[in-house]
Amino acid sequence: MTAVAQGPVSERTAHGSPARTAPTGFRVLRAEWTKLTSVRSNAWLALGTVAVAAATAFGLGMFVGPEDGRSGSWVVTSGFVLAQVGFLVLGGLLGTSDYVTGTARSTFTTVPRRLPVLAAQVQVTLVAALTTALAALGASYLATAGARAGDAPALDLAVPGTSRALLGFVLASVAVSLLGVGLGALLRHPAATIVGGVVLILLGDQLLAANPGRVTDTIRAFLPSSGSRLVEDDAALAALDAATLGPRLGEWGGGAVVLAWVVVVLAAAAHRLARHDVR
Amino acid sequence: MIEVEALTKRYGSTTAVDGLTFTARPGTVTGFLGPNGAGKSTTMRVVVGLERPTSGSTKVAGQRYADLPAPLHAVGVMLDARSVHPGRTAYKHLLAMAQTHGIGKARVREVIAQTGLESVATRRAGTFSLGMGQRLGIAGALLGDPATLILDEPVNGLDPDGVLWIRRLVRDLAAEGRTVLLSSHLMHELALCADRVVIIGRGRLLADATVHEIVARSERAGAVRVRTTDPEPLARELIATGAQVAPQEGGVLQVRGASVDDVGTVARRCGVTVLELSAESGTLEEAYLQLTGDAVEYRAAGTQGGAR
Repeated sequence: MTAVAQGPVSERTAHGSPARTAPTGFRVLRAEWTKLTSVRSNAWLALGTVAVAAATAFGLGMFVGPEDGRSGSWVVTSGFVLAQVGFLVLGGLLGTSDYVTGTARSTFTTVPRRLPVLAAQVQVTLVAALTTALAALGASYLATAGARAGDAPALDLAVPGTSRALLGFVLASVAVSLLGVGLGALLRHPAATIVGGVVLILLGDQLLAANPGRVTDTIRAFLPSSGSRLVEDDAALAALDAATLGPRLGEWGGGAVVLAWVVVVLAAAAHRLARHDVR
Repeated sequence: MIEVEALTKRYGSTTAVDGLTFTARPGTVTGFLGPNGAGKSTTMRVVVGLERPTSGSTKVAGQRYADLPAPLHAVGVMLDARSVHPGRTAYKHLLAMAQTHGIGKARVREVIAQTGLESVATRRAGTFSLGMGQRLGIAGALLGDPATLILDEPVNGLDPDGVLWIRRLVRDLAAEGRTVLLSSHLMHELALCADRVVIIGRGRLLADATVHEIVARSERAGAVRVRTTDPEPLARELIATGAQVAPQEGGVLQVRGASVDDVGTVARRCGVTVLELSAESGTLEEAYLQLTGDAVEYRAAGTQGGAR
């Protein structure tokens, strides 16, 4: 490290003074987009999530026969069960990376109003998760083409709820990423974010499902894991609602629950960011 | 202009900064000096709005930092060299900062050149040495061409080349009329580039004066050092004239209350051979150690005064 800039500083200020411009929502958004795309691991994580979704769908598709009572949309979207963890980690890492790496100090001295940064992080997460989810859906469709041509049921848009389930895959994936970025911004710690997120979207539901009852089923209905109902078609939803002892959430109820979680967690994160110190 | 007024910051029962007041003025390099844990970094984090004061206030350019319309143009901040995502390149890190204020890529390349980072700008920051990280932090601080700079330990980890570069840079920035606040725990570093020094210990102000004034407060300042073949008769004679004499090793006397001329005259009168005679001046380091002697938070046992 011997390269030392030569020449007087005044020379720089003579021709280099940038125009005095202030941060705007759009400028902060561009900056956050640069931050997202300039870290290679984010792209690998998105790619990995697509691969997991497609591989899971491919694997499950091999073992589905006509007698299993599954629909064609289930075959395509079945990768969600594992891929949602990828979406959670994607959002969680985007929400915590500034705090983990110390970048928060430069981020929030550059934009001391702070909340525009969180808003921009939510927006770039949304775009990244949406792109990843569409790619995962496309990849899962292609990966299950062989299975659907064979024993597995075909993807038939005439089956009630099929197109909603395909759209639901994208919506539920984005929702999980947004929950991740919100938890990340709130907890500022990746391990806590990912463990907490996995409990909320996956494990909590599974544990409570082992003890069916009015109370446990009611709690399950109001966990963010209800968002996974978005990927089910009408027949599967009817079966879920028939089996539960808690509230029946219908077609969009699960989406409403996960959306409420996203809003509440982001509000808590915004409160912590606006009212408390950044280390 | 940075104004810190009656600033107190507590974390639970720990008081990091306790009623601190000082001002860093335009056109001067203000050194911010104190032992580790004295509250320098905390003060700087409060000034740039990362932390809220428990009481008191801080202002930059007459405003609360968070109220500045375009902070990057008003204040350049380098708090910690490790404030960069290790997976991001130096260029992209600076670009993202610049984009928040709509600053163009040309300016980003300019600060990269100014800080000597051209050859590593497309390398990931995680591979940087401490010195390169410092340069990247300084590049970020210069990005908006701000009138005020706040640099926390900028010399840390730099090679001699880099240290010289920083000294010249802060001198030049102040000469252009900018306010520079520079923290360090290395007093000799500040003696070389600061006009004014604010010394704190345990969160409290110990001194706020020019480097000269602080040096003059040193115990040694104003004393005369004389080395002779025969110190005892000289010491007796000097005491008789009303001076205070402290004998030291190797036939050296430290004399107070007498000038170099007085000591020379007395020496001739009592016929001792003078081998060495000089007026002593204190150093900032000594003054600093005397000031902070009671305020050092962490110290190895038995090293008190050892650095003198």
